[in-house]
Amino acid sequence: MKQPKAYFFPLRPQNRNGGKLRLSSKLRSIQLIITLTFTAITVLVALIVSFMLYNKFAKTAEENANLNMQQIIEQVNYNLDLYVRGMGNIFEKAEQQITTSPSIDSPLMNEKMGTLMSSREDLVSVAVFTPEGEYVVGTPGQVMRQNTQLESQSWFTTAKKTSEISYSAPHIQNLFKGHYTWVVSISKMIQYRDNGELKTGVLLIDFNFRTIDELSRQVKLGKRGYAYILDPQGNIVYHPQQQLIYAGLKYENVEPVLEYAFRSYLDESTGEKRFITVRTLEQTGWKIVGVAYYDEIVTTKRDLNQFLAWFLAVVFLCVIALSVFLSWLIASPIRKLERTVKLVGEGDLNTPINVSGAYEVEQLSKRFNLMLQRIRQLMDQIIYEQETKRKGELEVLQSQINPHFLYNTLNSVIRLAEQGKTEEVVTMIQSLSKFFRISLSKGKNIITVQEELDHIRHYLVIQSFRFKNRFRYEIKAQDEVLSYQTIKLILQPIVENSLYHGIEMMQDEGLIVITAELQDELIVIKISDNGLGMSPETLNTILSGGVKNGGGSGVGVRNVNERIGLYYGREYGLAFESELEEGTTVTIIFPAIRNDEGAAEQKEDTTKR
Amino acid sequence: MRTLRFWLTLLMCVLIWLSVTSFYNASPTYISTDRTRKIDMIVKMNRGDYWNTVKLGAEAAAKEFNVKLTFKAPDSESDIDEQIAMVEDSIKQKADAIILAASSYMGLAQVVDQAAYDKIPVISVDAEVGSARVRTYVGSNSYEAGQKSAERLIQLLKGYGEIGIINFTNSSLNTQIGSAGTIDYGARDADEREKGFLNYAARYPNIDVVQISYTNSNTANAEELTRLMLLKHPKLRGIATLNETASQGAGKVIQNLGLDKIKMVAFDSSPSMLELLQDGTVQATVIQNPFSNGYLAVKYAVEALEGVDVPERVDTGTKLIDLENMLWPENQKLLFPFVR
Repeated sequence: MKQPKAYFFPLRPQNRNGGKLRLSSKLRSIQLIITLTFTAITVLVALIVSFMLYNKFAKTAEENANLNMQQIIEQVNYNLDLYVRGMGNIFEKAEQQITTSPSIDSPLMNEKMGTLMSSREDLVSVAVFTPEGEYVVGTPGQVMRQNTQLESQSWFTTAKKTSEISYSAPHIQNLFKGHYTWVVSISKMIQYRDNGELKTGVLLIDFNFRTIDELSRQVKLGKRGYAYILDPQGNIVYHPQQQLIYAGLKYENVEPVLEYAFRSYLDESTGEKRFITVRTLEQTGWKIVGVAYYDEIVTTKRDLNQFLAWFLAVVFLCVIALSVFLSWLIASPIRKLERTVKLVGEGDLNTPINVSGAYEVEQLSKRFNLMLQRIRQLMDQIIYEQETKRKGELEVLQSQINPHFLYNTLNSVIRLAEQGKTEEVVTMIQSLSKFFRISLSKGKNIITVQEELDHIRHYLVIQSFRFKNRFRYEIKAQDEVLSYQTIKLILQPIVENSLYHGIEMMQDEGLIVITAELQDELIVIKISDNGLGMSPETLNTILSGGVKNGGGSGVGVRNVNERIGLYYGREYGLAFESELEEGTTVTIIFPAIRNDEGAAEQKEDTTKR
Repeated sequence: MRTLRFWLTLLMCVLIWLSVTSFYNASPTYISTDRTRKIDMIVKMNRGDYWNTVKLGAEAAAKEFNVKLTFKAPDSESDIDEQIAMVEDSIKQKADAIILAASSYMGLAQVVDQAAYDKIPVISVDAEVGSARVRTYVGSNSYEAGQKSAERLIQLLKGYGEIGIINFTNSSLNTQIGSAGTIDYGARDADEREKGFLNYAARYPNIDVVQISYTNSNTANAEELTRLMLLKHPKLRGIATLNETASQGAGKVIQNLGLDKIKMVAFDSSPSMLELLQDGTVQATVIQNPFSNGYLAVKYAVEALEGVDVPERVDTGTKLIDLENMLWPENQKLLFPFVR
């Protein structure tokens, strides 16, 4: 608990004045990085794709619109061409009738004129004038007005100038009584017979705008688009807003149109983008001009725009939502893991880690859990081992000066002294003295095998006095074994066991054989007796500490086993072979380590498990 | 962390939105026609070629700007009360804008103020109205028109002789009935034309304006007034008529009587007037631009509704037409509406 506090305090001031550092670490969070990159990439891709799509579609739409418009204007051009040809035909027919007629003022002529007039609704008037402007003949029933000024009118002057059929600009027909109508006049110098006399005159046929209007009105170029007709001089023949233009309220920029006979272009002179398509009629030289508003005919473009805008907006929102969610999905278990690990780091090893999420994170958490478990296990083991070691050492320390054993031995010495067996007393005291010297051995834990064997020999000497020579003993050791080292007091508890449990109750003479030899870098010490032996049950419980040997030196067999295990490793220790009524053999196995390397080995051993 | 992310997301959204909206081009320069506007046009009279042409122009603009045009007019140019009732009705109907050709300068003033009070823009066409709340006036300069008429007539008379004027809806006529005394209850355009004419004629000492008659805008009445005037002043050398009906009436009388010695300068360009002009009965006519008036009135009404600044006064001009120039292409276009 102390550590986090010590960790938190220095961080606080840093927090206060180091906002930038905080931000940068936040910016480096997985979630933010994933969100930003994911969004950025998707947005970029979406933008690029939609931009390309937009361009492609817009271009196609524009081309289509342009083409479509050209086709419409072509169509109008074709229809008008037919119409103008029709007008020409009528004019030629009238001319033929007049020239072939024997006399211009015959009733037949009049009738023919009448038929011609009634044949077409768009015919306004037919008339023949002398080159001086005198009215000769015309539609029956029409009366000339005064002050017509026809000699100065364009249809009259051009007819006099050329021998071709001429088409006039729109003008007011003011020749005959009745309505003033806007007409297009067709005129030509012709020859006619008046009372057999061949004369020249001007034939005039006026057409109103009915058909031209009808033809042009059909043109649909978007909502505001329209088509108009110009004559070669730039006069407007037809315009859907003709009156507005005539009144000077609207203006049509005809100059660029007049220069070309056949053209399509984008006009921006009015401030608005407009597609202009120009076609020219052969006979009259009239120009049909289609005007379409760019932003209107390319409605697909605008629709596309709108669609793309919405589409992108939705995509962006989805992408942002998705990336935030996705990054949260990835980052949140990691963050949870991090928090848990932090808790563990603060010392709470029992923190359970149950992080669910992505497979990797789950695995990580699982492994981490296993690791924690193992750490806990190891820590428990270390604690346990440390405890046992300390306890064992304490026991050894105790056994070094075992009062009970000392008291028993001293009793035996007293008894021997009383009997006057001086020699035996000396031997006994000598053995006891040596026994204790090796037991203590200046507080060292490690002694040589020689010393250990000496130690057990002294013990057996002492015990043989106590047991009144009811047993024999043999100690056989290879010479090379003697200089190897061993932990002290490992034989005494086993021999003690053999004496008290194996031999003491026996009627016959007991035998204890101790052999020590070197086998494959291992030291093998065997202690065999021919005592009562043990049942398999006792054998099983003996190492797990079930049997407590009352009396004796107090250092238990189990203690020996554990000490060997702790010093040399768990694979070393005691092995028991026993048969009831036959005897018991205890084998001690531990690695052969030379005396001079003792100190280093010992240290290493403590760290080993 | 949360707030930071929130702001970043917001910023990104804004950026995206900007980039998306930048696809759109800026708002179009032409007047938006998505919404149908309701505009009431109230003129002086529901008859006559002049008002028909005004209506034509208004309808052309209505079609162009997606306007639902309601055309209203009393039977007579002198029916002020009827016109006031019509404006009141339009206010009640919540028209988006009102276009008014006032039959009386002062008579319509109050109701126009009322309309302005109800936030209905009022556009004056042809004849002004005595209200400061009118958004714009579209029409010709009547004073100038009167002067043009006088100039030509005096020129035709070679500077001497008696002149009779036939005008319409006159203030003095109303002052006899009304109680307002000196207040100008006549139509502004009629007054101005008359004033222009008289002021010009006053420069010529030998010119004597012997009589000014006022017709209530009906041809028969105008004919009657002309006949009376001719009877009363046998030495009359010239007649000036200051509106369409007066011109038609006077022209008819002169034509029927075959009075070649009487010179006449008419007003406006009805087809019958043009025929009289062509056959020489009438020597000249002062024309206005009724089509433009109608068209521009509606156009400015729409612009005013859109919040566009409209000019205070739009002069559509007047022109003197005689036999010689009537067939000039540009005059043809003004004289004869290209009606389909």
